[in-house]
Amino acid sequence: MSRIGVFTCHCGENIGATVDCAKVSEMCQHIPGVVHSVDYKYMCSDPGQRMMQEAIKEHSLDGVVVAACSPRMHEPTFRRAVSNAGVNPYMCEMANLREHCSWVHEKSEATTQKAADLIRVLVEKVKHNTPLFPIKVPVTKTAMVVGGGVAGIQVALDIANGGHKVILVEKSPSIGGHMSQLSETFPTLDCSQCILTPRMVEAAQHPNITLMTYSEVEKVDGFIGNFKVTVRKKARKLDEKLCTGCGLCIQKCPNKKISDEFNEGLGTRTAIYVPFPQAVPNKPVIDTLNCTFYKTGKCKVCEKVCPTNAIRFEQEDELVTLDIGAIVLATGFKLMKTEAFPEYGYGKHKDIIDGMQFERLASASGPTAGVMKRPSDGKEPETVVFIACSGSRDRSKGVPYCSKVCCMYTAKHAMLYKHKVHSGKAYVFYMDIRASGKDYDEFVRRAIEEDDVKYIRGRVSKIYEEDGKLIVKGADTLMGGEQVEIKADMVVLATAVQSNDRSEELAQTLHVSYDTYGFFAEAHPKLRPVETNTGGIFLAGACQAPRDIPESVAQASAAAAKVLGLFSQDQLTREPIVAVVNRQAGPTFSYCVGCFLCQTACPYQAIEQEHITARNGDVIKTIARINPGLCQGCGTCVATCRTKAIDLQGFSNEQLYAEIMTL
Amino acid sequence: MEALKQKAKELLQNGDVKAVLGYAVGTAGVRRPHFARNPKQVDALVLDEKCTQNLATYLTKHEVKHLGKVAVVALPATQRALLQLVAERQLRDDAICLLAVDGGEVKTLSSGAEVEQHLALKTDAMPAADKAMIEKLMAMTREQRWAYWQQELSRCVKCYACRNSCPMCYCEHCTMDCNRPQWVPVASHALGNLEYHMVRAMHLAGRCVECGECGRACPVGIPVHLLTFFAEESTAKQFGQRAGHTAKLDYALSTFKPDDKETFIR
Amino acid sequence: MTEKFEPKITAFVCNWCTYAGADLTGTSRIKYQSNVRVLRVPCTGRIDFMLLMKAFQKGTDGVIVSGCHPNDCHYTSGNYHARRRWMVYKDLMDFMGVDTNRVTFSWVSAAEGARWAQLVNEVTDNIRNLGPYAEYKELAVAGIE
Repeated sequence: MSRIGVFTCHCGENIGATVDCAKVSEMCQHIPGVVHSVDYKYMCSDPGQRMMQEAIKEHSLDGVVVAACSPRMHEPTFRRAVSNAGVNPYMCEMANLREHCSWVHEKSEATTQKAADLIRVLVEKVKHNTPLFPIKVPVTKTAMVVGGGVAGIQVALDIANGGHKVILVEKSPSIGGHMSQLSETFPTLDCSQCILTPRMVEAAQHPNITLMTYSEVEKVDGFIGNFKVTVRKKARKLDEKLCTGCGLCIQKCPNKKISDEFNEGLGTRTAIYVPFPQAVPNKPVIDTLNCTFYKTGKCKVCEKVCPTNAIRFEQEDELVTLDIGAIVLATGFKLMKTEAFPEYGYGKHKDIIDGMQFERLASASGPTAGVMKRPSDGKEPETVVFIACSGSRDRSKGVPYCSKVCCMYTAKHAMLYKHKVHSGKAYVFYMDIRASGKDYDEFVRRAIEEDDVKYIRGRVSKIYEEDGKLIVKGADTLMGGEQVEIKADMVVLATAVQSNDRSEELAQTLHVSYDTYGFFAEAHPKLRPVETNTGGIFLAGACQAPRDIPESVAQASAAAAKVLGLFSQDQLTREPIVAVVNRQAGPTFSYCVGCFLCQTACPYQAIEQEHITARNGDVIKTIARINPGLCQGCGTCVATCRTKAIDLQGFSNEQLYAEIMTL
Repeated sequence: MEALKQKAKELLQNGDVKAVLGYAVGTAGVRRPHFARNPKQVDALVLDEKCTQNLATYLTKHEVKHLGKVAVVALPATQRALLQLVAERQLRDDAICLLAVDGGEVKTLSSGAEVEQHLALKTDAMPAADKAMIEKLMAMTREQRWAYWQQELSRCVKCYACRNSCPMCYCEHCTMDCNRPQWVPVASHALGNLEYHMVRAMHLAGRCVECGECGRACPVGIPVHLLTFFAEESTAKQFGQRAGHTAKLDYALSTFKPDDKETFIR
Repeated sequence: MTEKFEPKITAFVCNWCTYAGADLTGTSRIKYQSNVRVLRVPCTGRIDFMLLMKAFQKGTDGVIVSGCHPNDCHYTSGNYHARRRWMVYKDLMDFMGVDTNRVTFSWVSAAEGARWAQLVNEVTDNIRNLGPYAEYKELAVAGIE
């Protein structure tokens, strides 16, 4: 038989004025199992809590119902108080007499009766409560950052500076990401590489950071604090330890006409290459698809010229499995290609380029060394049209969202062009100008007012070629929809920011959710913006949604703070409100029949397989097991389970049943 | 028939299977399940329109599992049940061996994928009489339906024949056996009967293969299969997911679409 | 029995949205009828249909089930699973002749204090008009013998 104490709080006048607390307290004395029932002016005050603790000792109480305010307000307070008196905190429940009764009903007999009912329900619940203990999960204090762009670099540096090991995985041969391709950045027009390269070097040299470039995440097992991540280190075809990065192989490589990804196809590179001169690490890779040796079996020039004999043609991909405590995804974005625009010629006009291509044209390290030359004939373009919202906010292109950065970089592009070609004419077609960052609107105004960029509010319906000119046909909606026709030498499409290729595949590997557009989903859009639904996996940068550099960096630091918080303790302590699968002696072993219909109901991928084996190792039965490190305690699996094999601690079938039977 | 026997004998002789489960003639001419464990026993097999039982039910039983691989003479409903059992991980995909008789031809289906393909060729809808009965019930007023089911369920003696004959009721520990708490009263009174059949129908929503075995098994003739048929149809209609059509798990009640319709929610 | 009928209303609510919303009703001092008894669960996903069945067994005249609006679930998708379960369960109840007018499904967010009061009042008035759920109560009485 339980020994339950009921403590009814007046909350001053808040409850006392509407509910007859003395009477409620008296009524509760008669509930079977209740051995002590009192009322008091302020239960949460020090004397109130002390009174409760003394009563627990005096009456040897094993359960407590505090009838006061909302449990969402003071449940932790009273559970702590009860715990200090030697009773398991989860043996304490709160009846909500204030928010759900005294504040919402008039003073009456019925209100007092309701108060007593609410307590009675909770008394029955407490009778079926069991002591619960916080779940401890060990934490491996090594983080993995996936993606070596500006966000990933920032996360890695912050965690590393916080004193923990970081493994930075990047799929391309160098870290740096899209930011390393940019010419200058808004709204300050400082050179992108000048601010990024020092960070890249810092990351490479940091004693706590291990770079794994030209590598991809292959498989993730485990859970928060205890991931096992398998990374595929793609074969660079050279011994990184021996390579000094002298670049002789690149100079001598006979195969020089390969389209250069870093320059967005506007330049060429060799088959053995580093993506760009400031690459980190500055070690080349062999592009086996284009290398003459791999195609014909002859050449090996690089091997011959290499002063340190670092070339390894026979090198294979390597799989490395690592113990990781937390993962940060910073895999970035891709830009929609000009091929996606039938109205603008399907990308077949060489002089219709996308924003990233313009960055390369404008960059001092780009294919034209920063001189404005149009791709088709290398002439200086006299008239350039920039089209914002190319694809973005366009349902027919499958991108109803705003790509966020285009308004700003289009203004930047127009300015850069005007700074390089003083006599040139720059036109911008736009839908709205969204420039809501610090100094952003001022920046756009500068483009319009000081650099004389012509902004035309309207869409471009068609572009076609005529006499060596690109005819841009659009409407000016501020001039009553008047038709505009511009004869341009080059057109720059601010194409939509999209989720990276294979981002959905990666999300599935990591068991994180993603939205319809393939961007990774945050755990809560407002309150948990850098966490995912999977414990221990965090987000930074444009893999979550289109982001500019300051936002990506801020989000990166936020994600790092989350990781550092997780790493601040040796063990992770979690609320024991989790689901458990029933276990019992053989031959049944568990009510679970192993149908795993619950598995897809779990929002956290917390349901795993457990094999019950005989002594000789034979599997007798396979049942579900809930990983307490991942379970958040929603109970959806509990309601899905037909055999009632799963139960939720703290809201168990017996507890809820007892509550209903009291009604 | 001879082709079937031939095939069954072959399978047994080659050691491909340990037994062939089919139908034989029982007392008073009823068709009962028959396990042929050697070629000789195959001769007792019959297959005609009186053979209706869903034999998939037996395959999840411990005794049958211990036999080893069993070939099953499979009606379309049995085929659906087997697919669903594979999806729910009660049978291994490689443990399947179905003998599907189509006209005079016997087809051996030995994987979920093959069953899926075979079933895709058929359009085996719910029997017209059952469909008509459900429609008739839905045309009644709510009070009339209540009265109908109260009347029908009043005969239920909770013998659990419906549960035990159902291929999808393979749980070792049924909700009805739960006693902590005792969710559903054991005795066969009005409340317990209503609750039992309601729970059964809910547990089969999205899982019922519409074989109707439960209704045939009922010794007092309650059309309990209408309840599970209805639940399955409601699920299929609302979510477009149907039981017994794929060996991959696709359970409507543990999946969702953010834009599922919710007209009834205020 | 000349006594005025006061319906018994049982509400199953999730902790994060509707329970918090009902707390807000309190903090905003919005009054509503006192017939409702609230049972708190973590998420609508936790609400087994059998809990509703049991509430009717105990003589509830009306049931409210409420949680986070779609997209707002604290556990991201518990309410979506719950919604499908209700879609089928409501159909089945109706097919078996159970009065589905007595079950109200709703989304009430943590910010909708006034909406909670309105919901409780509407349901209470509606059930008061429908009268006691005699059919089911008779079953339950017969059941408990």
